[in-house]
Amino acid sequence: MSGPAREHRVGQAFVALADTLVDDYDIIDLLDQLVGHCVDLLDADAAGLLLADGGGQLRLVAASSEDAQTTELLQLQADEGPCLESYRTVGQVRVPDLAEMSARWPVFAAAVQRAGAFRSVHAIPLRLRGQAIGALNLFHGVPGALPEADLALGQALADVATIGILSERAVRRGEVLTEQLQTALNSRVVVEQAKGVIAQRLGLPMDAAFDRLRRFARARNLRLAEVARRVVAGELEPAGLGSRGSRSPQ
Amino acid sequence: MAELGTVTRALLGMVRDGDDERALAGRICRACVDGLDVDGAAISLFTAHDSRQTLWATDAVAELLEELQFALGQGACMEAATTGRPVLVADVHRPADTVRWPIFAAAVVDQTPVRALFALPLQWGAVNLGVLDLYRATPGGLSDPQWRDARGAVDTAALMILGLRTDPDAGVDGAGGWLDHTTGHRAEIHQATGMVLAQLGIGPTDALARLRGHAFAHQRPLIDVARDVVARRMVFTEDMI
Repeated sequence: MSGPAREHRVGQAFVALADTLVDDYDIIDLLDQLVGHCVDLLDADAAGLLLADGGGQLRLVAASSEDAQTTELLQLQADEGPCLESYRTVGQVRVPDLAEMSARWPVFAAAVQRAGAFRSVHAIPLRLRGQAIGALNLFHGVPGALPEADLALGQALADVATIGILSERAVRRGEVLTEQLQTALNSRVVVEQAKGVIAQRLGLPMDAAFDRLRRFARARNLRLAEVARRVVAGELEPAGLGSRGSRSPQ
Repeated sequence: MAELGTVTRALLGMVRDGDDERALAGRICRACVDGLDVDGAAISLFTAHDSRQTLWATDAVAELLEELQFALGQGACMEAATTGRPVLVADVHRPADTVRWPIFAAAVVDQTPVRALFALPLQWGAVNLGVLDLYRATPGGLSDPQWRDARGAVDTAALMILGLRTDPDAGVDGAGGWLDHTTGHRAEIHQATGMVLAQLGIGPTDALARLRGHAFAHQRPLIDVARDVVARRMVFTEDMI
């Protein structure tokens, strides 16, 4: 992507994110858009976002792709990998070439090898007052370190995620960060369950199921997590989520 | 990274030893009293039939707090249970803190030495498993580290209770183990739970129990069974184990 073209898209992405932050937004939806922007703006082949739960365990909250291998690579990092290191050190972790990785993170390295699609990995912390609350993960199919400018942009996107998590329903009395993290993580559980219900009932793959859920929520200005809850509770029929259609622009 | 709190660590380190829900609730409550500078704790759970039941209270005051809420149909714990959000009351003598349940607050002031009250929901996705109630005889909120620890503790406790409730072999001492933190939060397991829920027309907790039951009966890791379901290599039917 050329310089001016990218600058324009960066601008658009932040305007879109800022717009979202003004409204009564859904955190899962916001984080999902954000990993989409990461892939788009940083030429990544996959991106994901992990947040720490109350037990200090990293949990997947958003991924640019539903494919099993990407999901696996992200989830594995609850135990080891660049994301966990980024979270623990509150710093950026650059792995320009996977060859360097096996000694540091044998299980993660083996999984990347198996996946076959990625050659370099970067992790960027979600920072808050000197601590990290999670990490953003970027996967590239080509080896090489990301330029500083890209890392800075990645950090800016990670900071937007942090702000989004912090301010969601922040007006509610007495609400604090840990609770917002918990809400995001709990929402993710319900969204995944709802995807399963929709996939089963309508015979769709997971990403298409997620798309139905998201488009229904957006079109009606409802929270993704609330729509998901109704699907899981049987209050909303998957067939009522609308017909097959093109993916809505992000 | 923030250090894990005392109670969270204690819960993560607990070994399965054939506890039933009541015994487990007791261990969780005692860990909270030991580590959070509170005077008492209680756990009330929702049973499969949606009724609430106090499983454990560390002392008579904690028990009375639960009873008052059941009797009056209102209170901090009731609110936490309904909304799925924590309710923190630094001082029950301050009317501003208790406007949403004045009758309960009056009864607490009248009949108990309780000054501060913290009701924390035990949640798994949209499923509300129950509420952990903590009280102090002196006014004052939880400090930041205590609050973090309390959140970590309820997070862990919820997974322990869910693990017990969906245990495929509850009769054998600790056979099914806990739902460990890593496995318990995998996306594929939630997706498979949703699919099994739709296949059998049951709730999420029962669907997870079926997945765990199958994994246990066939001596396979839960995550593998979940992946088979998501990949449609396996469909659950009423009569299968």
